[in-house]
Amino acid sequence: MTLLELLEGPLWIASASIFVVFAAFRLIVILFTGRREAEARPVGSPFLGALRTILGHFLPWRRLLGNGKAWFVTIAGYSFHIGLFVLLLFAAPHVEFIREKIVNLPWDPIPRWGFILSAQFAFAGLITLWVRRFVDPVVRLISRPDDHVAAGLTFIVMLTGCMALGEQSAFLRGLHLGLVELWLIYFPFSSLMHTFTWPFSRGFTGAMAGRRGTRA
Amino acid sequence: MAINKRHSAVRLLWSLFLLAFLMAMPALTGNDSLLAQESSAARAEPGPPNTLGKRSDAEIWHDLRLGAGGIANPPTGSREAGAVINAEGWEWAKLRNPEKSPIVHYGAWGLLAILGLLVLFYLIRGPVGHGEDSGRRILRFRLSQRVVHWSIAFVFILMGLTGLSILFGRPFILPLIGKEAHSILLTAAMQAHNLFGPIFALFLLGLFVHFLRGNFPSLVDIKWLLKGGGFFGGHAPAGRYNLGEKAWFWTAVIAGGALSVTGFLMLFPDYLATRNTIHLSELIHAIAALVMIGFSLGHIYLGTIGTRGTLKGMVDGYVDENWARAHHDRWLEEELEKAESGDQARETAEEGA
Repeated sequence: MTLLELLEGPLWIASASIFVVFAAFRLIVILFTGRREAEARPVGSPFLGALRTILGHFLPWRRLLGNGKAWFVTIAGYSFHIGLFVLLLFAAPHVEFIREKIVNLPWDPIPRWGFILSAQFAFAGLITLWVRRFVDPVVRLISRPDDHVAAGLTFIVMLTGCMALGEQSAFLRGLHLGLVELWLIYFPFSSLMHTFTWPFSRGFTGAMAGRRGTRA
Repeated sequence: MAINKRHSAVRLLWSLFLLAFLMAMPALTGNDSLLAQESSAARAEPGPPNTLGKRSDAEIWHDLRLGAGGIANPPTGSREAGAVINAEGWEWAKLRNPEKSPIVHYGAWGLLAILGLLVLFYLIRGPVGHGEDSGRRILRFRLSQRVVHWSIAFVFILMGLTGLSILFGRPFILPLIGKEAHSILLTAAMQAHNLFGPIFALFLLGLFVHFLRGNFPSLVDIKWLLKGGGFFGGHAPAGRYNLGEKAWFWTAVIAGGALSVTGFLMLFPDYLATRNTIHLSELIHAIAALVMIGFSLGHIYLGTIGTRGTLKGMVDGYVDENWARAHHDRWLEEELEKAESGDQARETAEEGA
């Protein structure tokens, strides 16, 4: 068995299994552990508070706008996340791989120019956001090593993916796939889980604030 | 008698053979007989004159070499339709030849020389200081400026490494790692280089917008230059940016702009350029890249180990007042005046309230 066969076979199954099992486990723990009920009399609606926060946080934070503030954070955030989402689910090599290994996706891949453009948006956004973690004193203080590992690993996965774009080298394909598998194994134990947990964390914070009659 | 009879018989046989051959000629030669008929017809009726032309083969080839059109049919949509020979390509090939190219040769030596000079300067001069820190800090770069700076720095390093692999790969890297590994390295480098190019152009635009203010020439630049930038002792006055920083800014903008434009031309050759434009673009791209990489080595040196306290300013945004007094005294004066007038305005407003 060649290394590429190992990466496309047993190692792929192992890493995907770790990803699914532990990500599901974390979500179940978050949803079903529960917490002590608040005893204070509610002032506002927790439901409305949750809804407002979940939806409202899609808009730029007013304090981040204007007068040299971090307006670019919102643009970079959208650029990275939408770019990565399109890359992951609509790029031709990914569509082919998912169809072969996981499920028959019902959509066609985007053309190559769309693939390249979405990769460029994703890279520009990721670099901007990652750089901000180093040069914004406040964000630097609240950033943990995990945040940097998560950003770095995501960057390396994307970089090796773009290096393998020529589809001429089994080595480059194997390198990309190997790093994807490492990323999948790291995912459930890291801040990358925000991919799934963001509605819950926003909703919980918003509900608590709504109950108190304030805004999150 | 017998001999004469035999000769007569042989002569008769030869005559019959010759007659049969001449009768079979039209069938054997086919169209040639038609050509013969046509040529006899042409002799009879005069056709277009001078069908062989009045020019020598040498003249015709000379014109073709200079790009004269012909009946050649290049691929559909080509911007060079009609050109038979692209002679400029030969000159380009000589300049681009990985083993003999002056760009590769002088480029490699130039970058090594810059590195050597920086090491020598550090060993002789050491880091430039500003005395003790005052403990008072002043904002030098806003957050968006710092993010743009480090973002383009990140992409520039990536572009530089992949670009140098492409430029210097064959003469320097191939002998070290072999053909197969080199081909993998090159395909990876080229894909990354092509993909990150537009991102570099985007960040370059951001750099231009964020750092333009303060980078125009001023009279104090001459004083700074006459004082040797303060690198050899003494104080060199400067505004927000000194002459060296301004030179780097405009080099980055112009060389970076050239890199972006020529890069786009090479990314979309079928839509944007002719073959000659692509050849020229490749040469300009390589030269601009070497200039920018060479200048960036000096910038990186002075921004890190060469000048104490500078790196902190680009990471945190703040510099010590004594650092500002040593390196950008005019700018510090302006900032302090602004702060003072702001304080006075606040005090007046408070008194008024």
